[in-house]
Amino acid sequence: MESFVFYIFAFMVVAGGWVVIYSNNLIYSAFSLLFTFVGLAGLYGLLMADFIAATQILIYAGGVLILLLFGIMLTARKTSIEITQSNLPRLPGAIISSLIFLLLMVVIFSEPNWNSATNPGVKETVPVIGKLLMTKYLIPFELASILLLAALIGSVFIARREDS
Amino acid sequence: MLTDIAIIITKIMIVIGGTFTAVAYLILAERKVAGFVQERYGPNRVGIWGLLQPIADGVKTMLKEDITPAKANRIIYHLAPAMVLAPALVTFAVVPFGSGIDAFGRHIAFQIADINIGILFIFAITSIGVYGVVLGGWSSNNKYSLLGGVRSSAQMISYELALGLSVVGILLLTGSLRLNDIVEAQIGMWNVFRQPVAFMIFLVAVFAETNRLPFDLAESEQELIAGYHIEYSGFKYSMFMLGEYSNIITASALIVTLFFGGWTVPFIDVTKLGHLGAFLSVVSFAVKTGFFLFLYLWVRWTLPRFRYDQLMHLGWKILLPLALLNLLFTAAWITYV
Amino acid sequence: MPDLKTEEMVVQMGPQHPATHGVLRLEITTDGEIVKKIDPHIGYLHRCFEKHCEVLNYHQIIPFVDRCDYLAAMNNEHGYVMAVEKLLDIELPPRVEYIRVIMSELNRIASHLVALGTFGLDIGAITPFLFTFRDREKILDLFEMTSGARLLYNYIWIGGVAFDLPNGFVEKCFEFIDYFLPKLKEYDDLLSYNKIFIARTAKVAIIPPAVAIEWGITGPNLRASGVDWDLRRDEPYSIYDKFDWDVIVADGRVGVLGDSWSRYYVRVLEMEQSANIVKQALEGLPSDENVKSAVPRKVKTKEGSVFFRSENPRGELGFYIISDGSDIPHRLKMRSPAFCNLSAISDIGEGLLISDLVALLGSIDIVLGEIDR
Repeated sequence: MESFVFYIFAFMVVAGGWVVIYSNNLIYSAFSLLFTFVGLAGLYGLLMADFIAATQILIYAGGVLILLLFGIMLTARKTSIEITQSNLPRLPGAIISSLIFLLLMVVIFSEPNWNSATNPGVKETVPVIGKLLMTKYLIPFELASILLLAALIGSVFIARREDS
Repeated sequence: MLTDIAIIITKIMIVIGGTFTAVAYLILAERKVAGFVQERYGPNRVGIWGLLQPIADGVKTMLKEDITPAKANRIIYHLAPAMVLAPALVTFAVVPFGSGIDAFGRHIAFQIADINIGILFIFAITSIGVYGVVLGGWSSNNKYSLLGGVRSSAQMISYELALGLSVVGILLLTGSLRLNDIVEAQIGMWNVFRQPVAFMIFLVAVFAETNRLPFDLAESEQELIAGYHIEYSGFKYSMFMLGEYSNIITASALIVTLFFGGWTVPFIDVTKLGHLGAFLSVVSFAVKTGFFLFLYLWVRWTLPRFRYDQLMHLGWKILLPLALLNLLFTAAWITYV
Repeated sequence: MPDLKTEEMVVQMGPQHPATHGVLRLEITTDGEIVKKIDPHIGYLHRCFEKHCEVLNYHQIIPFVDRCDYLAAMNNEHGYVMAVEKLLDIELPPRVEYIRVIMSELNRIASHLVALGTFGLDIGAITPFLFTFRDREKILDLFEMTSGARLLYNYIWIGGVAFDLPNGFVEKCFEFIDYFLPKLKEYDDLLSYNKIFIARTAKVAIIPPAVAIEWGITGPNLRASGVDWDLRRDEPYSIYDKFDWDVIVADGRVGVLGDSWSRYYVRVLEMEQSANIVKQALEGLPSDENVKSAVPRKVKTKEGSVFFRSENPRGELGFYIISDGSDIPHRLKMRSPAFCNLSAISDIGEGLLISDLVALLGSIDIVLGEIDR
């Protein structure tokens, strides 16, 4: 049962990612990214990381991707040119992604006790995450907030300048 | 194991069937309330008091020609109505609609899935609902529907912020994201009395989230004709409508759950009354939800529509700061009082 | 990215669009939601009214006049008939004048009710529309009682009216006035002073008085810009000088002079004045006379031309008739108020949001039948 569900989500992630890369139509790429995100959220859910799963959908699918789609939709219609994408620099892409994969593998296997469906470490993740964010990881958390705030102000500034 | 699966399937069927029936009769109620407000009869030809009207409507939309515009993006055009309807139905999965009963040697909660992050789950799923609107508007290849799609998605994203922030105050009070915990924390004292400002913000934001008057800019008839679903006909159109009305039901249920004690009954502890208590709790939940459904209809037939920039102004410059202030105040209250 | 700039989008608003009140087509160039340029296209309802008039005799033209402004048919008939009577020098029995004024003012109320209702609909308020139509229905009942028709009456004839008032009309009409005046408060509660409605219409699409005069805007739209001008008072025709009533001029009480809200509210107040006129006319109605005594069997005009203008619910309705002495006009020109009012939108509408353009269009209250003729 567990593995069956896992394969469904894994298929969603991989198939979605495949379309993202290989589709010529940018809209399809962006749209299938949605399936990747939802599949990932499902995988997080299987790993008992329910908080991450929900925020994954809330932020990536509900926020970031919508803005991407927005940009594509408005520009593609306005210039009446079908925006297409190509993936020419394949070799550097392959090298970079395999390096990242290796790095991730090293991190994963150097940490022995992961939570899993059969071995849920924490029952409720939210209080734990909240406490960690406010104590151990307070500085990275605050730094990230400041970075986001700076980005927000910067984007508003750029948008305003074009007006005048 | 088998009993568990049977129970879950029964619950899903009850909720989905209940939602669809409620949607059908909500549409009838909308037309009846409209008739009442406007001093006319409303539908009264099909069945007594027009009670069979939803069936007639359903049959009608199914038999209508299903038109696809010539230059529409076919795949997305066909997918969009489903993407509106599915999230609208899924959200109800975590809403507790009663206290639950003891049967078959176990406790059966009146809720499909009692998950720890209930409220986050709801926000996550509603944020997916934007896709159907955006993609439906875009793929129809119509300028008006594109404008409608863009408008409504911007609106939904903007109001999600105020919506989420207004709830955080309640989460602070309850200390849990589980909807059942939130409901049980309200026995004796509804959240609306503890968090009146949050309630007002939530109410306004939820109207905007569901694209209803006075925030129905996405489909504002006089400007965009019908907005994002302008090119849809037949059953695809009615799927958009089903999605819209299921959203309204979910929104009302959510208002009740978060602010009006959910399934609790004032002055009676239903959890100690066995099956009668379970029945009472469901009735209490239904009555409260019904009231907010009526509020939706009432407002729709009374108020005019905002302009787009006024809507954004309200969302970003009034509701959002107000929600933040409310959060700050609540946090200070919990810490120091 | 210096060469990436936002492009303008051309949107066709109409001829089948709910906010254009008929078959008007606006070709708008928009930048986002801001209207950059408006190109109005009219003529979808053109029926060669003026050409038809050159082959029909004076009596036969009346039903055609009805169909120009189909929401204010009585006012149109009244204007046309008075133009012909000016050409013929006909003395009218006083009862006829009273009946005509009652009918015209009732029709003015009916027409303003449609204007208010559809304007509310344009702003997104659905219920006021049904409320105004509920009240308009009562006026149409009165018309039906009198002329047999509910929309296009062919009631006011040259030299008289088609039928005398039926039994019970006066009582029913008093009843209507008593019913109607309190209803104005209901519109105020439901729509006029609604916060959202004010936010949508006040200070939106302003027509300053100078601009209004320049474009030849007349009627409630002109008075909404603060210009104190009403033909019924300033160039009194028929028996309007016998009644005690006020010309409503906007004071910009929630926004500024000449905004959409003023155009709306001038109509609300005008309905009250019209109801007052009807009431006075009913009270002063002369007793039975033959209402057809002055109707000429065959219209024999002298050679020459005549221009006559009257106050229609939408503004100044003018008829210019050139006669060659026969019973068929040589040439008839109609100055239709809605046409002149509409012509200003390409000037006023630039730089508005699309939603504000809808508010502008709804507030100037056009009838395409009269614009296209």
